[in-house]
Amino acid sequence: MPCERKPMRYGHSEGHTEVCFDDTGRFIVTCGNDGDVRIWESLDDDDPKFITVGEKAYSLALKNGKLVTASSNNTVQIHTFPDGDPDGILTRFTTNATHVTFNSIGSRVAAGSSDFMVKVVEVSDSSQQKTLRGHEAPVLSVTFDPKDDFLASASCDGSVVVWNIEEQTQVISWPLLQKSNDVTNAKSLCRLAWQPGMGKFLAVPVETKVHLYERGSWDHVSTLSDDLLTQPINVVSWSPCGRFLAAGSVGGLLTVWDVNSKLCVERQKHEKGFTVCSLAWHPSGSQIAYTDTEGCLGLLDGLGTSTQVAAKKPAKDYDDLFDDDDDRLMDEGLSDTKSPAKKAVGWDDDDDDFLVPATGRVKNRGAFLDDENSLDTGSLKLGQDKFGDNNDDAGSSVAPAAPPVAPLRPVYEGPMPTPPQKAFQPGSSPAHLTHRFMMWNFVGIVRGYNDEQDNAIDVEFHDTAVHHAMHLTNSLGHTMADLSQEGVLLACPSTEELASKLQCLHFSSWDTNKEWMVDLPKGEDARALCLGQGWAAVATSTLMIRLFSIGGVQRELFSLPGPVVCMAGHGEQLLVVYHRATGFDGEQALGVQLLQFSRKKRQLISGEPLPLSQKSYLSWLGFTAEGTPCYVDSNGMVRMLNRSLGNTWTPVCNTRETCKSKSDHYWVVGVHENPQQLRCIPCKGSRYPPTLPRPAVAILPFKLPLCQTTTEKGQMEEQFWRSVLFHNHYSFLSSSGYEIDEDAQNLSQKEQQELLMKMFALSCKLEREFRCVELAEMMTQNVVTLAIRYASRSRRMALAQRLSEIALEKSNQMQEEEQEEPEYSSTRRTSSGQPRVTNILDNMMSSKKSAQLSSSGGKPSKSPVLKPLAPKPKTKVPCAESVFKQGSISRCLCAFRPKTGFQLWLEENRKSILADNPDLEETDVIKEAMGRFRTLSTEERLPSTCKDSLKFYVGVHNLQFS
Amino acid sequence: MVSFVTARPAPQAAGTVCSAVPVGRKFLNTHTKKQTDMDPSEVEFLAEKEMVKIIPNFSLDKVFLIGGDLGPFNPGLPIDVPVWLALNLKQRQKCRIIPPEWMDVEKLEEMRDLERKEDMFTPVPSPYYMELTKLLLNHASDNIPKADEIRTLVKDIWDTRIAKLRLSADSFISQQEAYAKLDNLTLMEINTIRAFLLDTLNCMYKLRSNVQ
Repeated sequence: MPCERKPMRYGHSEGHTEVCFDDTGRFIVTCGNDGDVRIWESLDDDDPKFITVGEKAYSLALKNGKLVTASSNNTVQIHTFPDGDPDGILTRFTTNATHVTFNSIGSRVAAGSSDFMVKVVEVSDSSQQKTLRGHEAPVLSVTFDPKDDFLASASCDGSVVVWNIEEQTQVISWPLLQKSNDVTNAKSLCRLAWQPGMGKFLAVPVETKVHLYERGSWDHVSTLSDDLLTQPINVVSWSPCGRFLAAGSVGGLLTVWDVNSKLCVERQKHEKGFTVCSLAWHPSGSQIAYTDTEGCLGLLDGLGTSTQVAAKKPAKDYDDLFDDDDDRLMDEGLSDTKSPAKKAVGWDDDDDDFLVPATGRVKNRGAFLDDENSLDTGSLKLGQDKFGDNNDDAGSSVAPAAPPVAPLRPVYEGPMPTPPQKAFQPGSSPAHLTHRFMMWNFVGIVRGYNDEQDNAIDVEFHDTAVHHAMHLTNSLGHTMADLSQEGVLLACPSTEELASKLQCLHFSSWDTNKEWMVDLPKGEDARALCLGQGWAAVATSTLMIRLFSIGGVQRELFSLPGPVVCMAGHGEQLLVVYHRATGFDGEQALGVQLLQFSRKKRQLISGEPLPLSQKSYLSWLGFTAEGTPCYVDSNGMVRMLNRSLGNTWTPVCNTRETCKSKSDHYWVVGVHENPQQLRCIPCKGSRYPPTLPRPAVAILPFKLPLCQTTTEKGQMEEQFWRSVLFHNHYSFLSSSGYEIDEDAQNLSQKEQQELLMKMFALSCKLEREFRCVELAEMMTQNVVTLAIRYASRSRRMALAQRLSEIALEKSNQMQEEEQEEPEYSSTRRTSSGQPRVTNILDNMMSSKKSAQLSSSGGKPSKSPVLKPLAPKPKTKVPCAESVFKQGSISRCLCAFRPKTGFQLWLEENRKSILADNPDLEETDVIKEAMGRFRTLSTEERLPSTCKDSLKFYVGVHNLQFS
Repeated sequence: MVSFVTARPAPQAAGTVCSAVPVGRKFLNTHTKKQTDMDPSEVEFLAEKEMVKIIPNFSLDKVFLIGGDLGPFNPGLPIDVPVWLALNLKQRQKCRIIPPEWMDVEKLEEMRDLERKEDMFTPVPSPYYMELTKLLLNHASDNIPKADEIRTLVKDIWDTRIAKLRLSADSFISQQEAYAKLDNLTLMEINTIRAFLLDTLNCMYKLRSNVQ
């Protein structure tokens, strides 16, 4: 029975709330703690008619245009329905009535009260009253026998009593419930319900089960239960056809049983888990309205069509009802396929209902077989149906052995997809806040205000030298902002009339026009934006990224493989994170692209997955002040790009470790590599800081999550690798043509070497000589000399011997570099200079660079520390050793003097050239080889044997020349 | 660019900053000033050496001063500087001052209640709490949330403590004790009572010795 749970809506103020349908099913009528009866035309009715019946309304019943309510003035009153005119008082109690109900034909009203009494009153003549005394505690609920002979009531004294109305005596009493002293303290409201029609069963909710008692014998014939029901059932209600029983429980579980099969055919959970305190079936049986103790009204719609069918003939005898019903249900099951043919069958069936049931049945079978192949509701059910038919024929009608089982909705238990996280601006608080940060970054703060008085944006700069603070009225409704030293970029989503707009306040412009605006094409919404140096980027809902110059010239645009999550810009780099796929079980599947718009536009990271902590999402994305990409996930893990390890991401800090409480967070606003600072705002009990009082920035240190950082060794290792990682930006900056602070770089190198030396000393102390050698390989030559001295002083001659080998190797390498550099560069210049397209910009750049190089040219030779810690080519070790034995460094240099790239290549390829042209002279061979060599790319030129070492040279070369 | 005052102006002898003028001030002024006397402005001068956090809105490298190096100043990043520099920068609108942690209504209320409850002097949040409150509230009240409440609370604490001080001085004299020990007194409080107490004791000594 697939049904749709409509969203809950506010009905009354919180407290006990009751609901019923009017006779036609047109209106839903509710009463609640606010003393009003509301008449809803539908669940979406935003302006329901209301009748005020008292200060509080405890219960209501509606039949034949009469609305009976129990209100706080201890009366049971009648109002006309739907007009709501008062129509007199039916009866009074000494305290308030707790439950009122009509009999099946609407001639009598029964009311139970907190003064232990139950009264039965004729609606037409309120003087004709019958009082049923005998309960020893407030009455919880009352229900009429459909044949009007009996009345059942439940009370706080724990008893459920069946009364003979005429004789006003107890027929039977069951001690079923937990005792309590008042209705408000009762575990369950215990709303009884008598099966409509013949009144065969009385349903009594007892704890988590529903007991069915048979009329007449008063035997407990069966129990309805469900494993999911763990809290007491508050209320039960029969479907109009009398076949289904709905129950609402404390904790908000709604369950529908098929009484014949005793199987649960429908389960729904209240969306907030509030206690269901009343429920009512629509007269057609297709809807259930329910209310909770918080005053909300809900509706289950589209309850299985079977109930509708069953409801069509309430007048029919039971045996027939069930018998036919099975067939009908089969048909109904088939009609799930929704083929037009099936509908036709359904129609036929309706017509046939009373006239020729037999033929209808045959027809049904035929249809059923025809459609066997197209069935998708499960052949299992099919078999059951067939089986059921046989049984029916045998004539067991009271409880058909195999009733049609409406299958529960298939429950999927595999990994669930995670809702993809929405696009956001890093450094902003959520857009729904009235006062929020639209951006907090290195440059300044953009605050957005959106309340009744004002819709404005404040821009404030950390450094007032950049620009004075600005106040803008936000008439366009901008929701996104970014701020740089050059301008403010704002964007608003599209509205019905207006397109999504991009506005840039280019305050650093030297002309008088400090502002430009661009409308995005219709149907395209800005999702994320960022500013770089001289450019702006906006990612849109059409999976596109549009680039603009800061002055407003449209530049490149390109498509993203998925919806954007956020963007960040720095200098000439653009970092984009987007949804790569759907994540499962709380994970996000994000991809990242890093682009560089410098002279040589290129993609440094092309759509690789972005590693996040488990079950977390991205919460901040940006660059360090030095230009290294960096991001933070919702678990507080800060990760930084390690350019020297193939653009991998290294975790550098876990902000949650420093949080005092679980709900505290750090809101990251910036990352600096030199000095190593993570700038963030501590937020007590939230993820975002409030705009007032103005939050203060705190600084967190970085810490690589290395093992055993409590030991001295672990600490030094952590320091060393952190230092290495946080000084990667020097090589990146110099390689992309920025000037770098050489002093700071040398300082950092010195620091690293000092740490290595300390670790060396520690390993020495611990007698770990192998480890010493490993460390020495990371050292520079001068430091290795120190290490040798240290080793020999601590009388470790074997170690000193090995170290001196390393030292020699390192000195060789250095000299090779020095000699290699000019040679190699000259060959490259000549070989690569020609085919290159030279434009003006190119020349400017290269001249600038060579100038830069010459200015700092003296340094590399003087300070060998500049050399990066690269793996040394292992093949050279034996050579170095042999040379060491001869003891002549100069000879070693001669022997080792490396050949130019061309010579090496020629050696390797001479044979093939000779094979191709066997009659060439030596000079011709070289000419031919020259020709071939020129056509090759740099990579291919490297002879295989020397590829490793040459790659290294190329690396060094690029480092210093590009 | 920001130019720094390299020399800190010494307090003027006439400048009285503390409103709680010692009771015996008039009496005291008629006498020749003694070596032991310390003007409130001098105490304030000492208080100005206390460190306070500011958020500069300019960028400047380290500055090297006789009292120690300060900086570097990064816009938007909190940094500790002495109060005198903080106030100077604040007056030139070069920074925002972050009030010290104890300068908070709740904490001060707690402190006031404790001070009222205890017979002895309770520890104070800062040895210069009175001076710092005065200085910061006079010059940077816009950076301090609930400045008025804080002013009242600190005044309450001060009044309670001074009352205690007078009471103990009274009992000290009336019981003719030879010495008394008072903990947790601040410099300003000692100086408020010192001159008067010493002079009074001298006077009384004279009077008593004349009697005998």
